[in-house]
Amino acid sequence: MTLRADLVLTLGRLHLVVALEAGPGEVVAVLGPNGAGKTTVLRALAGLVPLTAGRVELDGRVLDEPARGVRVPPEHREVGVVFQDYLLFPHLSVVDNVAFGLRARGVPRARARERALQELERVKLRDLGGAAPRSLSGGQAQRVALARALATDPALLLLDEPLSALDAEARTAIRRELREHLDAFAGPCLLVTHEPLEAMALADRLVVLEGGRVTQVGSPSEVGRRPRSRWAAELVGLNFYRGSASGTAVALRDGGALITADGATDAERGEVLLVVHPRAVTLHRERPSGTARNVWRGMVDGLEARGDRVRVTVTGEIDMVSEVTAAAVAELDLGRGGAVWIAVKATEVERYPA
Amino acid sequence: MRVPAALVPGPRGPGRVLPATLGLLALGAAALLIVPLVGLVLRTPWSQAHQIVTSPAFVAALRLSLVCSLAALAVSTLLGVPLAWVLARRQFWGKTLLRALCVLPMVLPPVVGGVALLLAFGRRGVVGGPLFDATGFSLPFTTAGVVLAEVFVAMPFLVVTVEAALRAMDRRYEDAAATLGASRWTVFRRVTLPLVGPALGAGMALCWARALGEFGATITFAGNLPGRTQTMPLAVYLQLETDPRVAFLLSLVLLVISVTVLVALRQRYLTVG
Repeated sequence: MTLRADLVLTLGRLHLVVALEAGPGEVVAVLGPNGAGKTTVLRALAGLVPLTAGRVELDGRVLDEPARGVRVPPEHREVGVVFQDYLLFPHLSVVDNVAFGLRARGVPRARARERALQELERVKLRDLGGAAPRSLSGGQAQRVALARALATDPALLLLDEPLSALDAEARTAIRRELREHLDAFAGPCLLVTHEPLEAMALADRLVVLEGGRVTQVGSPSEVGRRPRSRWAAELVGLNFYRGSASGTAVALRDGGALITADGATDAERGEVLLVVHPRAVTLHRERPSGTARNVWRGMVDGLEARGDRVRVTVTGEIDMVSEVTAAAVAELDLGRGGAVWIAVKATEVERYPA
Repeated sequence: MRVPAALVPGPRGPGRVLPATLGLLALGAAALLIVPLVGLVLRTPWSQAHQIVTSPAFVAALRLSLVCSLAALAVSTLLGVPLAWVLARRQFWGKTLLRALCVLPMVLPPVVGGVALLLAFGRRGVVGGPLFDATGFSLPFTTAGVVLAEVFVAMPFLVVTVEAALRAMDRRYEDAAATLGASRWTVFRRVTLPLVGPALGAGMALCWARALGEFGATITFAGNLPGRTQTMPLAVYLQLETDPRVAFLLSLVLLVISVTVLVALRQRYLTVG
């Protein structure tokens, strides 16, 4: 059970060119900002939006291939979808919602209901079978939507922002539960989200989608450590730069230069990406005299509290965010702004090929 | 900025007179609408009511009206819902024109509709001529003619109501149903129709009320034959000459039905929102 998709399509101002693969039991998260085309990816896989080119193949069966005139309609795709607002049918009870797919396939009413109740049992909602969807909480609706999608034994499971309709409190519990259900699902699973935490917690692999293109594919820790786009870097809270390296020095595209620990050999020239963790960026009112190789002057631009830490945005030759303690803010009197010295050790600059 | 004193509404200025004037005019409007109905109720010959409602003329008109209006409702629903669906969901050339023509009977004088029906389905009409030549059957002056006239006048009410609901509904429910394996027809039957159900009910009620009250197109196209084409509104008109008491009671029945329909639709038209 493997999904192989090459999606090419234009929808309004969105031009989508996306290649995806997901193996059996694998959970792939498509992570991207709003308007990147995430939902369109799901709709295209489900057959709700036509491709202009490319190909979708599931378990060796071609679902979509415009060049050969193949387009399997959604009702024959064996794809389970959990929609963003869950879209439980308001005129049907919970159990009838879950039984809908089986009934549509011609399964007799009694057997469809029995199976639906089993699915509800799995999400621990059997008691709510007779309830109306509108009486459910967000978390319950999400589980019913999942049960409904799984009741037809789909070959592929798609989830659109599965947790975004929930309040922060419900999210943590539901996320853990969802993870269990996704782990139990044997086929490939694709979920789209703009929440990095959701993606990191649920997925085995991330696909970063920006402006209709894939900017990075990798494991959650890979994307978290070495993001390949500014958007992804900001998501995980890293300072991100592009530049061209010559030796250990990297001239940044937006001006300035940083010394890195890597790159002593001549082979490591060319375009590179750099990330610096804000905690590795120190601030000083006087010019620091330590071992830091990168020292420059900047202006404090803004403060933002993050738990017991404060993120300080400093503009200058190189714009950088530094994360310091509240005590440091007081000590350096950063609240009044003004000029500061910034220091970053070369070993704290993570460098990887562009 | 200073405002000239003359423009500041004083306690007896235009600001006071205007609401009072509007209130009086509103009262006049309400009276204009309500007084006739009060008159109808007050002048109903209640003491002879039982005798009148069991009279053959009354029973015949009532029966025919119910049969024809319900038949018209059935035809309008069967044909009008698909028309509403096509207008709401399909894109094609000339759609705007088609919609305009389909709702035209709502504003067309019914008598003009009757004339048009006669010219189309009459014994020498565009369609009616060949039909008569082929089968010897002709619609005018038949009960079927009454139904046709009522459908012509009443179906647009159902079409516009259902079309608006189809446009307003969240189509992603249909997508969800399709991904669950439902065919187009199953989606329509088990998701689309139930979701527009309230609007369909309202459209049917409006359609039925309009069919029941149909006068102009019916009398023009189907004539005024007791027991065959003489529906309640036609009987009211005729009985005013012969037996006004029957006319009054028939009118009262129509009023009660109208009130009932309005109450049934209260969610749509009586709730201020």
